Amino acid sequence: MAAPTAQKVQEIREVTRIERIGAHSHIRGLGLNDGLEARDVSQGMVGQAKARRAAGIIMEMIKEGKIAGRAILIAGQPGSGKTAIAMGMAQALGVDTQFTSIAGSEIFSLEMSKTEALTQAFRKSIGVRIKEETEIIEGEVVEIQIDRPATGTGAKVGKLTLKTTEMETIYDLGQKMIESLTKEKVQAGDIITIDKATGKISKLGRSFTRARDYDAMGPQTRFVQCPEGELQKRKEVVHTVTLHEIDVINSRTQGFLALFSGDTGEIKSEVREQINAKVAEWREEGKAEIVPGVLFIDEVHMLDIECFSFLNRALESDMAPVLVMATNRGITRIRGTQYQSPHGIPIDLLDRLLIISTSPYEDKEIRQILKIRCEEEDVEMSDDALTVLTRIGMETSLRYAIQLITTASLVSRKRKSTEVDVDDIKRVYSLFLDESRSTQFLKEYQQAFMFNEISSDTMDTS
Amino acid sequence: MTTEWINLLKSAYKTCLNQDGRCKVHYTFPNKDEMAEEYSLGNYQLMVRKWRRKTTGLTGVESWKYEVGEPLNPAMVLQAETLRENINNPIFMRLDKKEHFQWRIRNLPYSLNTYDITVGDDKNQITVRTTNKKYYKKFFIPDMERLGLSLDDSSLAFNHANDTLIISYKKPEEVLDLERMVRAELKKVKDDGDICEIPGQVCCVT
Repeated sequence: MAAPTAQKVQEIREVTRIERIGAHSHIRGLGLNDGLEARDVSQGMVGQAKARRAAGIIMEMIKEGKIAGRAILIAGQPGSGKTAIAMGMAQALGVDTQFTSIAGSEIFSLEMSKTEALTQAFRKSIGVRIKEETEIIEGEVVEIQIDRPATGTGAKVGKLTLKTTEMETIYDLGQKMIESLTKEKVQAGDIITIDKATGKISKLGRSFTRARDYDAMGPQTRFVQCPEGELQKRKEVVHTVTLHEIDVINSRTQGFLALFSGDTGEIKSEVREQINAKVAEWREEGKAEIVPGVLFIDEVHMLDIECFSFLNRALESDMAPVLVMATNRGITRIRGTQYQSPHGIPIDLLDRLLIISTSPYEDKEIRQILKIRCEEEDVEMSDDALTVLTRIGMETSLRYAIQLITTASLVSRKRKSTEVDVDDIKRVYSLFLDESRSTQFLKEYQQAFMFNEISSDTMDTS
Repeated sequence: MTTEWINLLKSAYKTCLNQDGRCKVHYTFPNKDEMAEEYSLGNYQLMVRKWRRKTTGLTGVESWKYEVGEPLNPAMVLQAETLRENINNPIFMRLDKKEHFQWRIRNLPYSLNTYDITVGDDKNQITVRTTNKKYYKKFFIPDMERLGLSLDDSSLAFNHANDTLIISYKKPEEVLDLERMVRAELKKVKDDGDICEIPGQVCCVT
């Protein structure tokens, strides 16, 4: 009896998978109402009403999918929610629209040129919805029987009996099929579909006829009717692939395997031209539909002048996605030149952009964000502590205040308390320096650090 | 409707050859669909008709689909990734006679009164039901659809012997006419005896 118990325990562990908490994991959308007005606090978004409303209008444009090659710049100081707005857009668009997110510095690689990296990012953001007819088997599992050979090694043999309300069929199972059936934990009474071409199994639910059984079942168990008619059906399926994926499949001899290894390398422009022609042909025949997505480039000031001029050109293509960029720079040097320009972006590109600006948060908003983050990180905090933390957030930065939540909660747990108190905040505030106090400290003790005798200019970070 | 189909056949790019006592004809239609037919040489009876249609191209080439005749597959090898129907499951195929469309469903051991075979409500398909809920099949008669004819219960007959259910449907006059026309079309150029691959013309290697 010991073995089954152990197995059960493991199963439970699999179900309660821990999701890691990221900096923007509390954002579930833009938090707009139907009239595209920003709600004060909604879907994890707080404040920035104007910027969110602007983003909402852009979203409508994306959803219509008609207009290609528009670009938006989200500009604002650090910690004013630029990435959060972009994340909110991604969440609100849903899984149907491609959303690619890259950082400006990601394109600088030794393996491929800057423009190639940008082109790939562009093509990753264009989806192609393809309609295809495939044969599927849909039925209720009557019996599943898997025999292991007596010697313990060698191939397993299996039989699967499926039925609909009208008929019943027995199938012989291949090795991989047995594995995937066991992985999906398919049992008698489940309603499943099998894609005949790919062998992909999906569980639709449990049969209504089995609803009486006093089985222990999870809250997510769905009951469905036993399918009618024939077991094998032809069904039109729609799947969305990105242009980049089609490129990769067609560019190499090993085909789609390169997609999984990530080793895509540079793709020849002839291949791209062929694909474009092919996709255009499908589109005319009504077999495929283009779904333009969104490419988000964070820290866009890290791109250099060559990339910007490439973007100018790339945005004019009718296959271009909607480009969203974010920057926290003011008037600064354009990378790769000696010229100064707003946001570090050349004027000719700026001219093509719609600019959304974010403003610094007010203390009420900071308090609200901190509260949301406390919930997200599962931290209980007293009102006083929250007030102190809001104060810290106003005086230093929002990011620093958010960092203090987790650390303070750890400190409070060490003193066996469930709630974070003002003292805990004070303690971590003294333990960890924020940026301005650190600068202050450095100024005071500059003499004690190494290499201080070399008088240097400030570091060039642009 | 009759002329529509015959015109399509005429416009197709055709090649044919005589082999193993059969005349084999291959059609490529203007939309790149392919059809292959095999006639027995003695009485010009249709033995095989199969189709290969053009796909979107992402999943490769589609295999031949049999409309008439028995697929020649050697016992299908069970591949690791997939599943196949157990060999004891019913096998459905169409084998026509001169005056009848005929279907054979092998491996059906149940007695004759188990089966309930009707023309569906929409008059374009035949439904086979079993009272013991073991077998169910809906099928069309593409020949009738091409002519835009609806089906009639009175032309339907069935029998059961040797674990095989045989369903027959009497060909209406329009279908017999069409078959005569196709046969004439195929015979017309047959006497040439040359290999020719001119679109819209039939040729034969003897």
